[in-house]
Amino acid sequence: MRRYIIRRLLQAVPLLFIISVILFVLMAEMGDPLATFGGRGVIKSRDRIRLTRQLGLDKPVWMQYVTWLIGNDWLKLDLDGDGVFESYGTRKGILRGDMGFSFVTRRPVIEMIVERLPNTLLLMLVSEVITLVVALVIGLTSALKQYSAYDHLVTALSFIGYSMPIPLLALGLIYLLAVTPKRWGLPHFPTGGMFDPAAGPGALQTIWHMVLPVTALSLIAAAGYSRYVRSNMLEVIREDYIRTAHAKGLPNWEVIFRHALKNAALPLVTIVGMDLPFLLAGAVVTESIFAWPGMGRLFYDHTVRSDFPVVMGILLIVSSAVVIFQILTDVTYTFLDPRIRYN
Amino acid sequence: MHKRLTVVLAVLVIVSLLASACGVAPTPTSPPPTQAATKEPSPIPPTSTPAPAAKPKIVRVTFTQEPDNLNPLYTTMWFVAVLRDLYLKTGLIEFNEKNEPIPLIAKEIPTTANGGISADGKTITYKLRQDVKWSDGEPLTAEDYVFTWQMIMSDKNTVSSRDPFDLFVEKVEAPDKYTLVVTFTEPYAPWQAKIFCNVNSTNALPKHVLEPVFAKEGTIDNADWNRNPTVGVGPFLFSEWQSGSHLIFVANKDYHLGKPKVDQVFIKVTPDDAAQIAAIKADDTDIGVFISYADMPDLQKLGTVNLVKVQSGYKESLFFNLSTQDKTKGHPALQDVNVRKAIIMAIDREKICAELLYGLTKPAVTFWDGTVYADPAAKPIPFDKEGAKKLLDDAGWKAGPDGIRTKDGVPLKLRYVTTSRDVRKNTQVIVQQMLKEVGIEIELIDHSADVFFNSYGDQGPIAIGQYDICEWSNAPAFPDPDTPVWNCKEVPSDENPAGTNWQFFCDQELDGLLIKSAVTVDPQARIQLFYQISKIVNDKVYWSSVWDDPDWWTVSKKLQNVKLSGATPFWNAHEWDLQP
Repeated sequence: MRRYIIRRLLQAVPLLFIISVILFVLMAEMGDPLATFGGRGVIKSRDRIRLTRQLGLDKPVWMQYVTWLIGNDWLKLDLDGDGVFESYGTRKGILRGDMGFSFVTRRPVIEMIVERLPNTLLLMLVSEVITLVVALVIGLTSALKQYSAYDHLVTALSFIGYSMPIPLLALGLIYLLAVTPKRWGLPHFPTGGMFDPAAGPGALQTIWHMVLPVTALSLIAAAGYSRYVRSNMLEVIREDYIRTAHAKGLPNWEVIFRHALKNAALPLVTIVGMDLPFLLAGAVVTESIFAWPGMGRLFYDHTVRSDFPVVMGILLIVSSAVVIFQILTDVTYTFLDPRIRYN
Repeated sequence: MHKRLTVVLAVLVIVSLLASACGVAPTPTSPPPTQAATKEPSPIPPTSTPAPAAKPKIVRVTFTQEPDNLNPLYTTMWFVAVLRDLYLKTGLIEFNEKNEPIPLIAKEIPTTANGGISADGKTITYKLRQDVKWSDGEPLTAEDYVFTWQMIMSDKNTVSSRDPFDLFVEKVEAPDKYTLVVTFTEPYAPWQAKIFCNVNSTNALPKHVLEPVFAKEGTIDNADWNRNPTVGVGPFLFSEWQSGSHLIFVANKDYHLGKPKVDQVFIKVTPDDAAQIAAIKADDTDIGVFISYADMPDLQKLGTVNLVKVQSGYKESLFFNLSTQDKTKGHPALQDVNVRKAIIMAIDREKICAELLYGLTKPAVTFWDGTVYADPAAKPIPFDKEGAKKLLDDAGWKAGPDGIRTKDGVPLKLRYVTTSRDVRKNTQVIVQQMLKEVGIEIELIDHSADVFFNSYGDQGPIAIGQYDICEWSNAPAFPDPDTPVWNCKEVPSDENPAGTNWQFFCDQELDGLLIKSAVTVDPQARIQLFYQISKIVNDKVYWSSVWDDPDWWTVSKKLQNVKLSGATPFWNAHEWDLQP
C-alpha cells in the first residue's frame, strides 16, 4: 500500500508538469493582459509598449513559462528599454513557492487566493454536505418505495431540479424569498453579500446570508445525486446477500443501513472524491449572483482580463487537488471495500 | 414498521436542517451595532437636538466590478476613479455635475489673465490651497505632486499609463511649498482634465508614506498603501477592503470642506447585473450604476428610486473603413461621401432607439454632445429612405435583379462588425434589414470585446481593417474633447502597429485642425476649433451615431443632494444626506 501511494505520487509530478505547460501555453496564446488596461477606452500605444516590456510579456512563451516555473532572479533584465540589461528579475518561480504577482492588482497571487479560499470552502463544503445528506435520504427512500406516488413525485422533481439552469434558480430564489417578501413587508432573506452593511460581519450574518446560495447549489446537485443513489440502491437490494440477510431474520432497518446502504454508497465515494477538488474552484455563477466573494469569481474575473499569474495559480491548485484527491479516494476505497487491494 | 421509521427519521433530519437555517434569522432591518462599532471610528454624536442614539447613516453603493487597485497610478478602472472622490481628492481641478471645471486643491484655475498660464502657453503655475491635510495630519503640499510625477516616470514602477507626462511634460517643480509649476514641451490643450486630475488617474500620492517604500523596495508596485490607502484626503477615509466582497469608507470629520452628513459609504461588489437589479428592488442598495435599458421600465415603476442620466461622453458610434491599402482596405464604395451619407440616411436610428432602448435615448448629433465643445448648430442626418436610394443611384450604384446594388461589377456588400453584446447584435439585425431595403447587402460579424479592441500589432479585427462599418461606444477624452482617432499620424501600419486611426484615412484639413486644437490652450478658441472639426466630421460622414450612450444610475429617493458628474461622479459626496 505504501509503495502504491508513493508510486502514485511520483506519477503525479510529471502529470502536473504537463498540465501546467498546457494551461500556460493556452493562457499566454489566447489572452492579452494589456487589452483591459485602458479602462473604458483603449490603452495608449506607448503605454502598451512599455508595459509589455516591464511585465515580461515581450519574451517568448517558453521563456515566460520558465520564469513562472523557476523565476528570473538569476537573470538580468532590460526594464527601461534602452538595450542595457541592468537589473535582476524579482521572481522566484512557483517551484520555490512564489506564484508571482497579478498583472491586474499587482498583489501577490497567493495572498489573493488565500483571501477568497475560506469563503469558498465555507459555501461549497456546506453545500456538499447538505447535498449528500439530502441525496442519500431521497435516493434511499425512493428506492425502497419504487414506483410509489412518492417515488414518482421525487423523480419528477429531480428531473426538473437537475435541468434547472443555476442562474434561473438563483435569481428565482432571490426574487421569491428576498425581494418580494421585503416589498410586502414580510420577513425575508437578504439579496446577496456575506453580511448586511448596517449590522457588520459576524457568524450569524454569514449563516443567514448563506441560506439562499447553499439552497441553490444543493437543490441542483442533490437532484442529480439522488438519482444515482436511487439506482445504486435498487441494484443492491436485489442482490442475493440482501435476501440472505432478510432470510436470517435481521430487522429491515439493519438490512438497509448495515448492508445495503453501505454498498450502494460506495460508488458515491468516487463521485465525492472527484467533487472535492472542484470545491476549491468555487461556483462562478452562484458566487456572482449572490455576490459571494469566492474563488469562482476570482478565477472568472481574472480569466477575462487574461491575468495569467492568478489564473495559473488557481488552476495549479485545483489540478494538484484533483491529483491528490484521486489518490485519497483510491486509498479510501481499500478501507471501505475489503475486496479491493492495490499490490 | 421499520420502513416507516426510516421515513420519519429522514423527514426529521430534513426538518431540523431547515429549522436550524431559518431559526438564526436576525431581522436585517434592526442592525445590532456590536460588530460595526469595532470596524469604524465612532461618529461624533449629535449635539444639537436630543435625537435618539443615531443609527449610523450608511450609503450603500453596488459596483458590478471588483476594484483592482486603489493607487491611481495602477488602475484605469472607472469604478476606482469614482471611489477616489471619497478618499483621495487630491486632484488640482475637478468637474461639477454640468462637467464644468472647478478648482479643487488649486486655489483657482490658472488662466492667462491671472498669470497662471505663461504667454507661450508652455508653463502652468498652480497656487495650492494651504488648508488641506492628509488624514494623518501631514499637510498636502506641492512636493506630493512632484513626487507623484517622479513615480509615474520611474522605470521601476509598472504604472498603467504615463500619459500625458511622457510626451508632453518637460518637468514638474515645487518652487515653494504651495506653488506647483508644470512645464510642457509644447502648449498642451487638455491640461485641465489630464494634469494631476482624478479623471485620468493622476491624483497626488502621499509622499511621506510612499517615498520610504520606494527607497526600500525600489518600486511602489507592491506598496501596502495600494491596497490599504489609510492615509488619504477627502470627505471619507478608507477603512477596509475585503476582496470580492466590499469596501468601507468612513466619514472624515476633518475634511476641509466640512464633515460629511453621512457616516459611511459601503461599496458592495455585486458582479451580476440581474443581482444588482434585485438589490435595487429590495432596497438593499442606495446607488446602482450602469443600469441597462431593458431594466429601466421596471425600475421606473418601483417608486423608491430615481433614474439619473449621466453624460460621460460616450456615443454608440458607427465608423467607416476608408482604407485603400490592400491589406486593410474597406469597400471601395465607402470612398464616396454620398454613399456614406446614404447609408446613414437609410438607417432609422430614432426607431432603433425607440425599439431597442425604450426611447430612453436618441442618436447623438456630434461626437462631443454633452460637453461645451458640441456645436449647437449641428444637425443630424435625417432618416430618408428615398433620399438614400437617390444618392446611391446618382453615385452609380444601381440595383441588380436580386435587389442588391452593383457598380463596375462590384456588389455593394458590406461587412458590419461589432462586439458580442446583445443590444449590438440586435442593432445589427435591424440595420441589416433597413439597408437591404435600399439595396445594400450586409454581412454581420461580431467579436468578443477582448479581441475587438486589440491593436494592429495584436491583429485586432478593426485595427487591421477587417470591416466596412464598425460599431462601438467611443468617447473623446471626456470631459476634454481630445481624441486620437482621426489624426493622420495615427493610421496603423507595420511601422506603426499601435496606431489608433482605425478608419485609415488622412484628411489634411481635419488633421490640421486637430493638431492645432491640441496646442490651443485658450478654452474659447479651442471650442471654436472643435465646432469646425465637428462640422468636417459630420459633413464628410466620417462618423455617425446610433445612439447617445449616457450612463444610467439609480439613486434611492432616501438619498439627497447627489449630483452626479460624468467626469467625477462622487465629487460632492460630502453633501450627501440619507433620510431615515
